[in-house]
Amino acid sequence: MAVLDRSLASSSPGEAVRLPVASRLHDWVVTADHKKLGLMYIASGLVFFLVAGVMASMMRIQLAFPQNDFLGPNTFNRLMTMHGTTMVFFVGMPMFFGFANYLVPLQIGARDLAFPRLNAFGFWMFLFGGLLLYFSAIGSEGLYGAGSTPDVGWFAYAPLTSRTFSRGNATDYWILGILLSSVGSTATAINLVTTVATMRCPGMTLRRMPLFVWILWVDAILVLFVLSPLTAAQVMLLFDRFLGAHFFDTQAGGSAVLWQHFFWFFGHPEVYVLILPAFAIASEVIPVFSRKPLFGYPIMVAATICIGMISMSVWVHHMFVVGLEPGANTFFAASTMAIAVPTGIKIFNWLGTMWGGRIRFRVPMLWCTAFLVEFVLAGLTGVILATVPIDWQLSDSYFVVAHFHFVLIGGLLFNIFAAIYYWFPKATGRMLDEGLGRKHFFWFVLGFNLTFLPMHVPGLLGMPRRIYTYMPGRGWDAWNLVVTAGVAVQAVGILFFLWNVISSLRGGEPAGDDPWDAWTLEWATTSPPPEYNFEEIPTVRSRRPLWDLKHPEDPDWRWE
Amino acid sequence: MSAPRDDGSESIRMPAPTAWPMLLAAGICLGFAGLVTNAIVTVTGAGLAVIAARGWIREVLPVQHLEEVELRPAALRARDVLPSTARVDHLEVGRDGHRMRLPIEIHPWTAGLGGGLIGALVMALVAAAIGVATHGSPWYPINLLAATVMPSLSGAGTATLEAFDPTAFGLASVIHLLASLLVGALYGLILPLVPRHHVLVGGLVAPLFWTGLLWAVLGVLNPALNGRIEWPWFVLSQVAFGLAVGWFVSRREKIATLQDVPLAARAGIEAAGLGPGRDEA
Ligand code: HEM
Ligand SMILES: [Cu+2]
Repeated sequence: MAVLDRSLASSSPGEAVRLPVASRLHDWVVTADHKKLGLMYIASGLVFFLVAGVMASMMRIQLAFPQNDFLGPNTFNRLMTMHGTTMVFFVGMPMFFGFANYLVPLQIGARDLAFPRLNAFGFWMFLFGGLLLYFSAIGSEGLYGAGSTPDVGWFAYAPLTSRTFSRGNATDYWILGILLSSVGSTATAINLVTTVATMRCPGMTLRRMPLFVWILWVDAILVLFVLSPLTAAQVMLLFDRFLGAHFFDTQAGGSAVLWQHFFWFFGHPEVYVLILPAFAIASEVIPVFSRKPLFGYPIMVAATICIGMISMSVWVHHMFVVGLEPGANTFFAASTMAIAVPTGIKIFNWLGTMWGGRIRFRVPMLWCTAFLVEFVLAGLTGVILATVPIDWQLSDSYFVVAHFHFVLIGGLLFNIFAAIYYWFPKATGRMLDEGLGRKHFFWFVLGFNLTFLPMHVPGLLGMPRRIYTYMPGRGWDAWNLVVTAGVAVQAVGILFFLWNVISSLRGGEPAGDDPWDAWTLEWATTSPPPEYNFEEIPTVRSRRPLWDLKHPEDPDWRWE
Repeated sequence: MSAPRDDGSESIRMPAPTAWPMLLAAGICLGFAGLVTNAIVTVTGAGLAVIAARGWIREVLPVQHLEEVELRPAALRARDVLPSTARVDHLEVGRDGHRMRLPIEIHPWTAGLGGGLIGALVMALVAAAIGVATHGSPWYPINLLAATVMPSLSGAGTATLEAFDPTAFGLASVIHLLASLLVGALYGLILPLVPRHHVLVGGLVAPLFWTGLLWAVLGVLNPALNGRIEWPWFVLSQVAFGLAVGWFVSRREKIATLQDVPLAARAGIEAAGLGPGRDEA
C-alpha cells in the first residue's frame, strides 16, 4: 500500500522537489487531509481485495474437481471466512469511505470534512482492525497451538462461535478486528453526515447537491443505524466467550436465533451500505458519458431514501430456513420484494438517462453499462430467493452464492472500477490507459459471467455452499470446472488492471483539470487538487455548476 | 476555515497534520488486542491511548492548531472554465424517430374496477354455460376454482365436483371477484398506454398470454386441477372476460393526468423556481 501511496503523492505537479521517502511517508501518516485519507482507504481496500481474491482463487482450485485435495477442510473454512469478512468489511467499506472522503468535500465545494482529525482516526481504526484480524494467522492460539485465522464464516453463527465449538481465540480475533474497524466506520459516517449537512458551498441547496453526495449521505446515515446492533451483538459474544455469559448459549437458556436476528439486522442493510456507493458512482458516470442530465433526480433521491429505510425491514429473508412462524416469513418476503421497486426505479432512470443521449463508451461508461445488465440479473435472483418456499430449497446452496456475487461484483465492483477509471485522472493528474482498460473490462466481464452464471446451476442441483469438497457423479462436476476456469479469466483482467494502474501512474497521459467534460465541482480544480481544494470557495446556481459555465446560453439554473 | 478568502491573502489556513489520531487508534486497538495476546499489550495500549487522547485534546483546545498553506503560484492553479463551443442539442419529440408517449390522459381507475365487475359477471355466465354444456352442471367450473384452495376438493371425484357445495361456492366467488377486480384495474391502467389495437390486445392477446402462463405453471402448482381443466373452454371464458373489460373501459371518459407538471408541483409543494424558466436567478 505504502508504495502506491507514495507514488500517488509524488505525482502532484505542485511538488517541485522530491522529498526523501521517509518524510513523504511521514506526510501520509500524520495527514488529516481528506484526499490523502481517501486515497489511503482506496489503496488499502485494493490491497485487501487482492489478498481476498487470492483466497477465493484457492478455494475455487479446490472445488474445481470432486474430491480434490488441494486444501484441507480446516484451511478451506479459514479461507472462506477470511475471504467473506475481508471483502465486506475491508474492501467494500473502505471503498465507500475512500470515495466519499475524496469526493464529497470536492463535490460540495468544501475544503475538507467537518472533522479532519476524526477522519484520520476513523481510517487508522479501520486499518488497525484489519491488521489485527490478519494477525490471527500468526498470533492466535489455534486448535493445534499454531496460528489460525477465524473459521466461523463471515456471519459467525451461534453456537459455532461459543467456546465449546470454537477453541482457541481465532473467533475473538474475528470479533475484535471487526469491532475496532466498526468504531472507525462509525466515526467516519458521523463525519460524512455532518459534512454534508453543514459544509455545502453557497448556493448548494439540498436540491442542487450532486446525486453522488445524496446517495453517500443516506448511506452514511444507514451505517450509523446498523453498525451499532452488530457491535452490540459482538460485545455480547465477547461476554459469552470471556465472562461466561449465555446470550447465545442455547444449553443455558440463551438463543442462537438471537444472534441471527442481530447479525442480519446489520447484515442486510450492510449489503445496501455496500451497493449504495455503486449507485452513487453510476449516477455520476452515466450522465456524463451520455451527455445528458440525470433523468429523474428527485425520484432518484426518493428511491435512495426508500431503499435505506426498507433495507432495515427485510433481514429475516436470511432466516427463512430457521422455521419462524408463517406470518413473519410472509411479511419479510413481501418487504424484500418491495425493495426491488425503488431499485428498479433507479435502473429505469439510468436507462432513461442513456436514452437518446450521445453516449461515449469510454472505459468508465463500459463498466456502468455492464453493471446495468448484471445488476438486473442479480436483482431477479434476489426476488426468486425472497419467495419463501423457493428459498427453503435454495438457501445455503450455491444459488445464493451466485446471487450475492452477482450483486457484489456485477453491482459493486464493476462500479468501483468505473469510479477508478473516472476519477483516477483527478486524483493523480494522469489518465489510465484506454486500451488496457478495455482489455481489463473485456477479460473481467467475460470471466465474471463464466464464473457466476453457471454457478447458479449446481446450486439448483443441490450443491450446498461452504463445502470443501464433494462426491463425483452428482451432476456438479462440469459446472464447477467451468466456474473455476472463469476465475482464471477474471485474473487475467485483474492483471491488466494492475498493470494499467502502475504504468499510468508513471507515464500516463496528463489529464488536465477536466478530461471528461464533466459538470460537478471536483472538475473545476486542478488534478490533483491542492490541499485546500479551491482557491475561492465556489458558488453554485444549479445541479451542474460547470455546465452553467460552459453553456452560458443554456444554463441549468434557468430550468430549476 | 471554509469561508472564502475575501482579504486577498495568498495563503489558506488548514488543519495542521497530526499524529495523535493515529496514535489514539493504535492505543485503542492494542488495548483490545491484549484480550487475545497478553495483558501487557492492553496496558501499553491503554497508556498510549491516554497519552494520545491528551495530545489530541491539546491539539484542538482552546483553539485548534491550524497551519498556513501557501496558495499555488497562479500558473499551477486550475484554468477558468470557459464557455464551450459545442452547440447544445435539445432532444425534441418526433425528431430522428424519437417518440415520447406520456399518458397525458387516462381512464379513471374506477373504470378498471367497473370493467372488472362486468367481466366477472360475463365470465361467470360463460363458464357456467360451459359447465352445463360439458358436465350438465353449472357448479363444475365453480368447484374447480375453489379446489385451488380447498384440498378436499382437489382430490375429489367428478360426482362431487358436479354437485353444489356452499363453502366452495363462497370461496370461488371471493377468488373470482378479487381476481377480476385486480385484473380489471390493471386493464384500466395499462390499456391507455398501449398505442393501438386495444380490442385485440385486451380481448385476445392478454388473455392468451396469461392462459399460457397458467398453463405452464399449473402442473406444478396444482396437478390435480391441471388434469381436469379443459383448456379450449378456459381460453374462451378468459377471452369473454377480456372483451367485456376492454369494452367497458374504453367507453368511459378519459381524464387528464398531471404527467406534464413537475414532480414538486404534483406533490403539492409551492416554492420559487417551480414555474417555467426565468432569466435571472
Ligand atoms: C432486488 C433486491 C434483492 C433481493 C430481493 C435479495 C434477496 C436475497 C435473499 C432472499 C437472500 C437470502 C438467501 C438465503 O440465504 O437463503 C439474499 C442473500 C444475499 N444477498 Fe441479496 N437480495 C437483493 C439485493 C442484494 C444486494 C443489492 C446485495 C449486495 C450488494 C445483496 C447481497 C446479498 C448477500 C451478501 C447475501 C448472502 C448473505 C449470506 O448468506 O452470506 N443482495 N438476498
Ligand atoms: Cu438480505
